[in-house]
Amino acid sequence: MAAGRRNLFSEPDEATDIDLAPMIDCIFILLIFFIVTTVFVEEPGVDVAKPDASVDQPLERTSIIIAITADNKVVYGGREVGVSGVGARVKQLLNKDDLPVIIQADEKADHGVFSDVWSEVKNAGARKISLSTRVD
Amino acid sequence: MARRVVSDEDATRIDLAPMIDCIFILLIFFIVTTVFVQEQGLQASKPDAAAHVSLEENVSVAFEITPDNKIRYEGDEIPLADVTSRVKAAVTDPEIPVVIRAHEKSDHGTFVAVWNAAKLGGAQALSFNTVD
Repeated sequence: MAAGRRNLFSEPDEATDIDLAPMIDCIFILLIFFIVTTVFVEEPGVDVAKPDASVDQPLERTSIIIAITADNKVVYGGREVGVSGVGARVKQLLNKDDLPVIIQADEKADHGVFSDVWSEVKNAGARKISLSTRVD
Repeated sequence: MARRVVSDEDATRIDLAPMIDCIFILLIFFIVTTVFVQEQGLQASKPDAAAHVSLEENVSVAFEITPDNKIRYEGDEIPLADVTSRVKAAVTDPEIPVVIRAHEKSDHGTFVAVWNAAKLGGAQALSFNTVD
């Protein structure tokens, strides 16, 4: 009788024991996928209406992105830096790693501002400078 | 005897719950930080000050963008749709440089449109400079 009671108590315990190994396998696969695809790029975080072009090519994911808004504000990493602030920031980032630079200019932005930002980036020592266009 | 075997099995079982907790936290962090953004763009080039003078002399194809976003070629105002055919006619050799001279008050969108049209016309040595 005593043995029978023990069985009664221990059996439900073993029955609720779920094998977690397959779930852990799945989670690991997801985890590795997300680790591999994550790129830590500082997005400008402003709304930019990019111009359209048919001859554009995909750009590198890991880049320094500088945005120029329709009212000619120069933005990097969510902060307005101004044309004069671009050079120092890009130089600082290029010291760590030789990254390409992408200029996201609004189609309503002045060409003069774009050109000034271009010169600043060029003088900071960037080797590859691209201008961003609409993704189609 | 049978109980000893059972308790031995129990002893070798590792509690996976804390590890799963950790993995879930990592997983959520990476899901949240992942951005699937594919940037598209153009590689533009601008002659630097030193090259500027020598380039100016043998430029045969130069487009001008006025402050009010009009496109001028050899002094005449042309529509955007004509840029491609003009470039095609003028660029007999891909080495011939094509320059876009944009006024600093013109729109960036116009500049990109002209750049795109010139590229479609077969201009390989394409560059821009800014006038004020």
